Amino acid sequence: MSETTPVIYTENLVKEFGTVRALDNLNLNIAPGEVHGYLGPNGAGKSTTMRVLLGLLRPDSGTVHIFGRDPWRDAVTLHTRLAYVPGDVELWPNLTGGEVIDMFLRLRGTYNKQRRDQLIERFDLDPRKKTRTYSKGNRQKVALISALAAETDLLLLDEPTAGLDPLMETVFQDVIHEAKTAGRSVLLSSHILAQVEALSDRVSIIRAGHIVESGTLSELRHMTRTTIEVATERSAQHIAGLSFVHNFRTESERSVFEVDGDHVQEVMNDLAGLGIHSIVAHPPTLEQLLMRHYGDDLSQRGVSPDTTKKVS
Amino acid sequence: MSASTMTPSNRQSSSRAERQATLAGTGTVLRFMLRRDRIRSTAWVIGIGLLGFYFANAIQLVAEDEAELAELASLFTDPVGRLMTGPAFGMATPTYERFFSAGYVLFLYILIALMSVFTVVRHTRAEEQTGRAELMRSNVVGRHATLSATLILVVITNLGVGLLVLAGALAGDFAFEGSLLVAAAGVSTGLFFAGAAAVAVQLSESSRGSSAMAGGLVALAYVIRMGGDMAEQGGSALSWFSPLGWAQQTAPYVEDRWWPLALLLVFAVALTGIGFWLSTKRDLEASLMPTRMGRESARPSLGTPLGIAVKTLKGGLRGWGIALVICGLMFGAYAQALVDAADDLPEEFAMIFSGETMMLGYLAYMGLFMAIFVAAAGVGALTQLRGEEHRGRAEFGLSAPLSRTTWLRAHLAVLLGGLLTILLLVGLAMGAGAAAVLETDGGDYFFDLVVASLHQTPAVLAVVGIVTALFGWWPRTASPVGWTIVGYAAFMTNFGQILEVPDFFHELNIFGHLSQYPVEEVAWGPVVILTALGVGGIVLGLLGWNRREINRV
Repeated sequence: MSETTPVIYTENLVKEFGTVRALDNLNLNIAPGEVHGYLGPNGAGKSTTMRVLLGLLRPDSGTVHIFGRDPWRDAVTLHTRLAYVPGDVELWPNLTGGEVIDMFLRLRGTYNKQRRDQLIERFDLDPRKKTRTYSKGNRQKVALISALAAETDLLLLDEPTAGLDPLMETVFQDVIHEAKTAGRSVLLSSHILAQVEALSDRVSIIRAGHIVESGTLSELRHMTRTTIEVATERSAQHIAGLSFVHNFRTESERSVFEVDGDHVQEVMNDLAGLGIHSIVAHPPTLEQLLMRHYGDDLSQRGVSPDTTKKVS
Repeated sequence: MSASTMTPSNRQSSSRAERQATLAGTGTVLRFMLRRDRIRSTAWVIGIGLLGFYFANAIQLVAEDEAELAELASLFTDPVGRLMTGPAFGMATPTYERFFSAGYVLFLYILIALMSVFTVVRHTRAEEQTGRAELMRSNVVGRHATLSATLILVVITNLGVGLLVLAGALAGDFAFEGSLLVAAAGVSTGLFFAGAAAVAVQLSESSRGSSAMAGGLVALAYVIRMGGDMAEQGGSALSWFSPLGWAQQTAPYVEDRWWPLALLLVFAVALTGIGFWLSTKRDLEASLMPTRMGRESARPSLGTPLGIAVKTLKGGLRGWGIALVICGLMFGAYAQALVDAADDLPEEFAMIFSGETMMLGYLAYMGLFMAIFVAAAGVGALTQLRGEEHRGRAEFGLSAPLSRTTWLRAHLAVLLGGLLTILLLVGLAMGAGAAAVLETDGGDYFFDLVVASLHQTPAVLAVVGIVTALFGWWPRTASPVGWTIVGYAAFMTNFGQILEVPDFFHELNIFGHLSQYPVEEVAWGPVVILTALGVGGIVLGLLGWNRREINRV
């Protein structure tokens, strides 16, 4: 297999449940060694995508390939090369966490016991407890450890840290960085924007079963606005009239506004002549990216997109 | 509400307030339960009511006059009949109503008991296990509200069944007092087992464990009264150790004794009280049986498909196995009582049943009866597999390099191995029980019983095959169809001879085809056909499972 074969490739993938179109011409591509953030609201089709990729569901039309092979037909062969962490982990209640981890690792063949123990320690899991006594976070740790300790080329992570505390979130990010360094590919579906920002090379945004935006973070940022907070000697009020400047507000000598990604240069030239005391520029956050795509969704429900735009 | 700030005078009134607080929201919770159960409970109530109506009115079809009834009475009065149906009061001068109470109402009692057990478990432990109880209790809902509302629901459904049974019996033109007694005994039995379930749900952390405990008690009650009633017409001392025995000792339409119901009701109240008390001794979602620490790393066997299957199915199979082996031992041990009872039979019955034929008939019946329960264990395990899929564990497991075929094959291998082992052990247990008590020929019967039990393997296999095929192609139908097959087999095996139904209905009974070994020789035709049905079903099921999507929403 050549290096350029995408790890995950889908073209016009369609999956219907009765009258509901869960995946609607989904096009998703992930290159080897890439950490790919997969963002979307509940019910957008993230988990359905994962389950098609695992060969548990059969697509109605379109192409889906993992390592150039059909996941429905070659599930077993492919599963030796990938590991999966479900979003809502159900474990065998009469097994301990350690037993579940070992079970999965053994099913994949040989494994590194040292790496397993190390991960258990890093994630601070008690492997001797029966899984029925675990909280959601602990169950997720079990799934994460069994996926990460295996030597696979691809990790399919479906909201893997939804139940983890911030401390464990940091451990998770470290471990994913290591996986990336080791050349593994990751499909990371998530709601935690900071996490996707910190980890992902590329991001795809799915909405109603369709990828509405895909690219590197910097590519996506071109399509959105940079927030600028500036304190100037002379009034910057005239900037408010420019077509690419939005939400202009002034508080005494401070002005706060957003500027379209490809017009930052012009605004900066303009500001330079006003005598800048201080300036802070925020790159667009993923939150803003998402709000652009879900904005109309929210406004239908009576939530203004601006109310959640506050940058911390 | 810290006690230290209270003066003694208001402590008392506040403890009353506290008691009320533990019941806060009971009414709302009850309405919620009625809403959730409007179909399920109604189906139970109407189903049992209809069955009662059928029992009470079908006898007239079976026997046209009381002279015919007298001929049929031996069905209930001979020891094997008493084993099945009860103490057979008043069979010297049988009437339709006595026939009804001697032969059929026991099965209404059992169904009422199971309805009560399942209702209690479903609304208490199952709710805790799924975490829904936590959500519920976060509202203004007292600690005892759920159990109280559940028990009120049980009382309501039991009274509903009681009224329908009474109406059914009256429709058959039966005496009022006896009919009322039948209905009251049913309600009392239901309440007794609801109380037992209220205790069981405190003990086990899982709803399955609780159901097994309380359901096992129903089975135990049945088995104990089997021995007691077989020993003597009218029941023996042993019958009085069974709550089902108490219900039957009311002897409706014959002696119309009301006082045994007091036993049931006193125990019902006591058990319920214990249930409430135990529930205060534990945390929500916790059990009174402590959970121990387990292994840090898995045994090597666990890393294989078979290892996973064993881990999944072991608990259920072990539970069934232990229960059935104990039953087998008891059935075997009743053999001598059967011989003794046969000696007391009037001359004409002795002609029919005496000696070897009756003994062999009993053994054949035992083998068959136990095998139906083994098939039930099989259906239970396949239901569990569907649960594995439903809960997402199959999905997670299949994300490892493990093909669907391997996954299902491993589970079926463990299941079939387990069922065969249970059949063998049950045969050995029945044989050992019989050999231990029989004064003559014990050793011969030992061998007969082991073979009689193993001889049922093809029928069990056929049930597993049919349910597996459904699991592969139409997973939703697998469990209901499976339980229907087993229930139908149990019903036809016990009542098939008495009911005058077309042969077709006997043909439908999967357990009605094998020869009655050891009364008859083994007939190989049915063995081959049933085995083929089982193997074919399993192959079909594997094909379907390989083709269909996993846990499709």
